[in-house]
Amino acid sequence: MPKTSETRYIVIAPTSSITPDQITRFIHTMAVDIQIKETCFGVIIQGQPEVVAKVLAEVRKLDPNRLFSKVRGFPIGDARRCRAEHGSRPGFTQLEKEWKDLPMFEAGLECAENKGKVCEVPKRKKLPVSELKKICDEVCQQ
Amino acid sequence: MKVFIVPPNSLILFDLVERFGHKPLSIMGALSEKVTSKEIESPPLNVTVDDVKKGLKYAGIEVPSGIRGRLAIYGPLIDEAEAAIFMEDAPYMFGCVGCARTNEMVKLLVRKRKIPLLELDYPANDEEAKAVVQKVKAFLEGLK
Repeated sequence: MPKTSETRYIVIAPTSSITPDQITRFIHTMAVDIQIKETCFGVIIQGQPEVVAKVLAEVRKLDPNRLFSKVRGFPIGDARRCRAEHGSRPGFTQLEKEWKDLPMFEAGLECAENKGKVCEVPKRKKLPVSELKKICDEVCQQ
Repeated sequence: MKVFIVPPNSLILFDLVERFGHKPLSIMGALSEKVTSKEIESPPLNVTVDDVKKGLKYAGIEVPSGIRGRLAIYGPLIDEAEAAIFMEDAPYMFGCVGCARTNEMVKLLVRKRKIPLLELDYPANDEEAKAVVQKVKAFLEGLK
C-alpha cells in the first residue's frame, strides 16, 4: 500500500543565515497542502510524499549546502515524542551532534562541487596501551 | 538504487545518499510504518508475533531478544538493499542504535549479501569530511 503521509526534518546548519521562520514563510507562500512545525534547528514538514518531495526540492534551493534533511518516524505532535505532552526524545542527542558537525560536511560538499583535490587523510590510530599507561602514571604522580 | 546506511538513522548519510540520487534505507522510514500502524496496541513499545518471526530469520533463538527485535527492523532493509555505506566510530552510536552486538550482526549480514559496500570513519575535521564526502559521491555515482 502506498504511503499516504511522510514526515521530514529540515535541519539548518549553524553556519547558515536562514532561520526556521524564513523556511516556514517560504513554504507557506508555495500554497501547498502541508503541515509545518518550526523547531530550534529547522522545521518539520508533513504531508503526502509527492508534496513533501516538491517542497523539499524548493527549500533546498535556498541554501543547498547548508540545509539537510531526513525522514522522521513519528508524525508531528505525536504524544509519544512531543515535549508538550512530556514525550521522550531519545534521538535528540544524535540530531544535536550531527547538527554541530554540519559545517564540516558543508565544506565537504563545496569541495565535491568544485571538484577540489582531496588528499587521502591518514587513518587515525588508536592510542597504544603503553602510551595510555604513561599518561596514567603521569597523572597519578601529579 | 536502494542504499542501506549505518548508523541507520544518520541525518548526514541519509541526506548525502538522497542528494547524490539514490534512495536511502533507514530505520526512520521502517519505523514510521510501525508507529502509525493501528495493529499495534501501544506502538512502538510492543512487538507483534510477526516481528518475532522476522527476527528469527536473521538471528537464532539463543540471541538476546533486544538484538532479535532490532534485527526484525534492520533485516528486511538489508534484504532490500542494493548497496551499503558504513560510517564507523560515529560519536552518537548509543541509545536506540547503540547495541554493539546488533551493529556487528548488521555488518555481517550486509557483507554476506556481497553488495557494493563503502566503509568510512566518522570525520573529526574539515579535511576528513572533504575526503568522506568525495568518497561517498564517487561511490554513489559509480552505482548508476
